[in-house]
Amino acid sequence: MKRLGQILFFLGVLVICPLACGPDTDPFDDLMSDGFDRKEMLVHWADNVIIPAFASYAHATDALKTSAVNFGLALDEDSLLKLKEHWLDAVKKWQGVSMFDIGMAEQISLRDFSNIYPVDVEMIENHISTGQYNLELPSTRVAQGLQALDYLLYANQDIERVLADFDDQRRRQYLQAVVERLDSLAQQVLDHWQSGYREAFISTDGSSATSSVDKLTNDFLFYFEKFLRAGKVGIPAGVFSNTVLPDRVEGYYSQRYSRSFTELGLNATVDFFIGKSYDGDVNGPSLEDYINHVTAQNGTRDLTLVILEQWDKARQAIESLDPNLTRQIENNNVQMLKAYDELQKAVVLLKVEMLQALNIQVDFVDADGD
Amino acid sequence: MTTRGFSCLVVFTLMVLVACESDPDPMPVVQAPAVYKFSRDGESTVSFDGQTTRILMATELINAMEDFEVAELALNEMWANETAAGGDADPFENPALNESTKSVRSKTAASQDYFSSNVTEAIKIKSEFESWISAQVNEVFPNELVLAEPGIAGQIADDVSIRYVNGDGLEYNQAVNKGLIGALMLDQMVNNYLSISVLDAASNRADNDAGTVASGKSYTTMEHKWDEAYGYLFGTSQSESDPLPTLGGDDAFFNKYLQRVDGDEDFTGIAEEVYDAFKLGRAAIVAKNYTVRDQQAAKLRELLSKVVAVRAVYYLQQGKNGIPTSGSDFGAAFHDLSEGFGFVYSLRFTRQPDIDAPYFTASEVDAMIAQLTAGNGFWDITPAVLDAMSKQIADAFDFTVAEAGS
Repeated sequence: MKRLGQILFFLGVLVICPLACGPDTDPFDDLMSDGFDRKEMLVHWADNVIIPAFASYAHATDALKTSAVNFGLALDEDSLLKLKEHWLDAVKKWQGVSMFDIGMAEQISLRDFSNIYPVDVEMIENHISTGQYNLELPSTRVAQGLQALDYLLYANQDIERVLADFDDQRRRQYLQAVVERLDSLAQQVLDHWQSGYREAFISTDGSSATSSVDKLTNDFLFYFEKFLRAGKVGIPAGVFSNTVLPDRVEGYYSQRYSRSFTELGLNATVDFFIGKSYDGDVNGPSLEDYINHVTAQNGTRDLTLVILEQWDKARQAIESLDPNLTRQIENNNVQMLKAYDELQKAVVLLKVEMLQALNIQVDFVDADGD
Repeated sequence: MTTRGFSCLVVFTLMVLVACESDPDPMPVVQAPAVYKFSRDGESTVSFDGQTTRILMATELINAMEDFEVAELALNEMWANETAAGGDADPFENPALNESTKSVRSKTAASQDYFSSNVTEAIKIKSEFESWISAQVNEVFPNELVLAEPGIAGQIADDVSIRYVNGDGLEYNQAVNKGLIGALMLDQMVNNYLSISVLDAASNRADNDAGTVASGKSYTTMEHKWDEAYGYLFGTSQSESDPLPTLGGDDAFFNKYLQRVDGDEDFTGIAEEVYDAFKLGRAAIVAKNYTVRDQQAAKLRELLSKVVAVRAVYYLQQGKNGIPTSGSDFGAAFHDLSEGFGFVYSLRFTRQPDIDAPYFTASEVDAMIAQLTAGNGFWDITPAVLDAMSKQIADAFDFTVAEAGS
């Protein structure tokens, strides 16, 4: 064994030395490759995580569409409750796909058209009363999607009043239009994955900035930093403004789901990181495995454990909040700030330590110009 | 190590030496220029107008706090550069400041290293400044024509000057002024722009190595970060590149007090040391020598923290000396203690040279502030408390109370 070690050592010297001092051409890529099977991870991501997640989301938007039609016909309390139930299910399923802003989702700006908040109530009401709108316009993103439905279904807590409002056919038509567009966007993305994009995704298995691993890892980080940490917690808690903004929570009008949307977003983040399949049955190759693979080579500390522990702390901080984050902010914003701090600590671990370990360049920057 | 292992290593070393003999010197010597001037292709790469803007905003804010005609609303707008509803505000006399979207508030207790994962404390600190601004209007201004007494805000004579204090004898405008030296200027310098986490953020190092400039700019992002630290000290200097000749007269914040400390013969030369470290560190970035850069950053953390600490001890001692042994001539003592209050508050933002921690933690500083404001505050404070606090501060640094106190 000792002798073998010696031989390997010498071979290593012979190989490394000329390279270390060689000309600028870069033969490192192959030789210094980290030996992790990226393709296997991409296959797992596509087949067991992303496509099932989009299928489930598209299924939910389809059910939402059906229940909106039924509500339009019946206009009674039962059909309204059914509609609300399907809306809630769609928002929950949305949390599982939001981070996968790649391929068709990126091309059609799925996230921006499906779940922007706060919504522009004035624009929504204007669309309803005039019947004049084009939901494909980027300027109308704040008047459509799941959060526009939150407004339409919940702005009024009194069910009789909601039913009375929807007695107006223009309001029913707008509801249909919003639901149909939401569903059609979801189906487009799912179709794209199922009709060839999966193959393109898994075959881009290199380690350049345009490779699927680098891109999706950046999407994952971007989601966690901008949409979970900032969007769901930091912005309403006033971290980026001079005052708190309690009306900027997700699901503002329904008033009781904003914490659970945040928890689901965190679950989706952690599940993706540890490679849990969408149905929860298998754990496949993941960012966690990838990091463990390279850190084992470097002999560095157990980064993945540190990251998972930090997410646990964040989860505990979020679980201690009022289910209605608006109420939490108004009553005791310090608890929100503490949750934000725990999420931000995880951002640092991911953005600096994880990306460094995986040798992935961050493809977005914080605009903090002075 | 076995003999065979050793011989392996020798062979390895020889091979590396032979193979690498044509490599350039890996650690070029860095030479600081005579003045803070750096350029690329004939164009200056030095830029820190954002820092100048914030110093000027802070200046208008603290001046307005002494204007009895000013409304709380206007002070809040100067602090946040926004209306209460979040709209665009034009609170400043200088129209250029009204054009800006920057504010004092957004960079107060806002450093990457201390506050990015600690917004809980950051917002507590911002709220403290807001409470001082508000109390100036709501407690002190209404008592303009009341004689200050223990527990009662009002005016008090300090020789020929008149000071306006709260019930504790504290001048809120001094708390804001000296507090910002720590919470804005020092924090942004030593815990943000001179931090490795900021200098080396994202692809800064690779970009600086390759000479890749920031989009539309003449400087690399790393160069700019360093300049932004420099700007919080020299952003209003008459000469951007040669600021020491007018040091002390260019603002009422860090610039002024670096000169005051330098003017004490026990600390003469500190201003030159600070300026030299800024120049050498910046030259090191140009030379891509990050070892020298980091050495200068560490040196600046120590020196700039020390300026705040020396000044804290100085005012605590001056305040102690001003406490009358009989009678009620507290005015001079209160003025010094008010400045001391702000500098003590600023200790929380200091930074030890080689670790990610201040010389005094938030809770240690809170305890000092609690001592200064216990009971009726400055009315009740004893020389023994001020001496003990002075010693506690000096002991964390390499100076004595006697050196700082005069």
